[in-house]
Amino acid sequence: MEKDKQPKDSNIYVQMGIFAAILFVSQLISDLFPKSFVVPTPLIGMVLLYILLATHIVKLHQVAKFGDFMIGLIAFLFVPSGIQLAAHLDIMKKEGLQDVIVIIIATIIILVVIAYVGALVMSIHHKITGTKED
Amino acid sequence: MANTIVTNLALPFTGIFISLIVYLIGMWLTKISNGFFLFNPLLVGMVLGIVVLAIWAKGTGSTTAAVYKKFYLPGGNMIFWFLNPATMAFAIPVYRVNNIFKKYWFDIIVICFVGGFISLFLINLVCKLFGLSAASTASMLPQAATTAVAMPIAAGVHGVPAVTAMACILNAVVIYALAEFLIKVLGLKKISAVATGLGLGSAGHTVGSVKALSLGEIQGAMAGVSVLIISLAMDILVPIYAHLFM
Repeated sequence: MEKDKQPKDSNIYVQMGIFAAILFVSQLISDLFPKSFVVPTPLIGMVLLYILLATHIVKLHQVAKFGDFMIGLIAFLFVPSGIQLAAHLDIMKKEGLQDVIVIIIATIIILVVIAYVGALVMSIHHKITGTKED
Repeated sequence: MANTIVTNLALPFTGIFISLIVYLIGMWLTKISNGFFLFNPLLVGMVLGIVVLAIWAKGTGSTTAAVYKKFYLPGGNMIFWFLNPATMAFAIPVYRVNNIFKKYWFDIIVICFVGGFISLFLINLVCKLFGLSAASTASMLPQAATTAVAMPIAAGVHGVPAVTAMACILNAVVIYALAEFLIKVLGLKKISAVATGLGLGSAGHTVGSVKALSLGEIQGAMAGVSVLIISLAMDILVPIYAHLFM
């Protein structure tokens, strides 16, 4: 990561242009998938941007400034997603409490399962390769 | 005159203004309460925003859903659109830790897909235990993915994206409140750093990433990577799971 630090950040319009171009292509790809198997545009955009960075077609200094700025805003950008619940208050009245309890349990389930499956997979990895985790 | 005001209030300014005000109040509450977990700016913003719309509906003799659609949504949609580039930008932290990612990429993918699939079974089981409706259950499944990805997945399996969004917000609140306790009880400091990072990132989203980073560099890096890989895993696994088991 150090080697990418030296070049100056690209012009902000170039950075936004790269984001816009990748999102445009992602949208086109996303439309190819059927309704029963949705692949959301930002997911494709995320994968494409990673591939472009990893293959050095897009350099870190060409996207980092705008990208970091957007990630810094993300909590605020989630506000409308939360408020859209206003259109579904009937569900909340009916089973809101159960929903919240299930979410709390589900959060813990995800943490426990991923962490312990992860620990198992990693120990198998290290047993096969005979290495130790650093 | 009254008509002009109603038309003008239906412009995007209203939604953007409400979103900013409620979020700012949330940030202020977080600050003065020294980070009390229920005063998460996003959670406060969500609850206050809904309260504002509900009061508005009561005052005008309309329903909250109608007020939301007519007055909040135009501005809300503009802010919402920017989730596209913001979510896409999560590729950057992954690339920044590319040396660690390249070393463990296969393990990470296996962990997220296998762990993700097992989580789906358990979450579905808990949903059944609490007698959730089919729509709510479907909304619970993709919550490990990042919000902007989880919502369309939920819609694809006949869930309610709004409930999924709430799940993603509450995930972060739960991890913020319980991370230290869970790390201790589950002994997460003793198990693989890669696994801990992935777990905290998947369960707690951006808040999980912050908690993971406090445990160490590898944990933080893996929490960043988890956003990309678990979202990808959920996108593939949830439709398959819903098709086979629901």
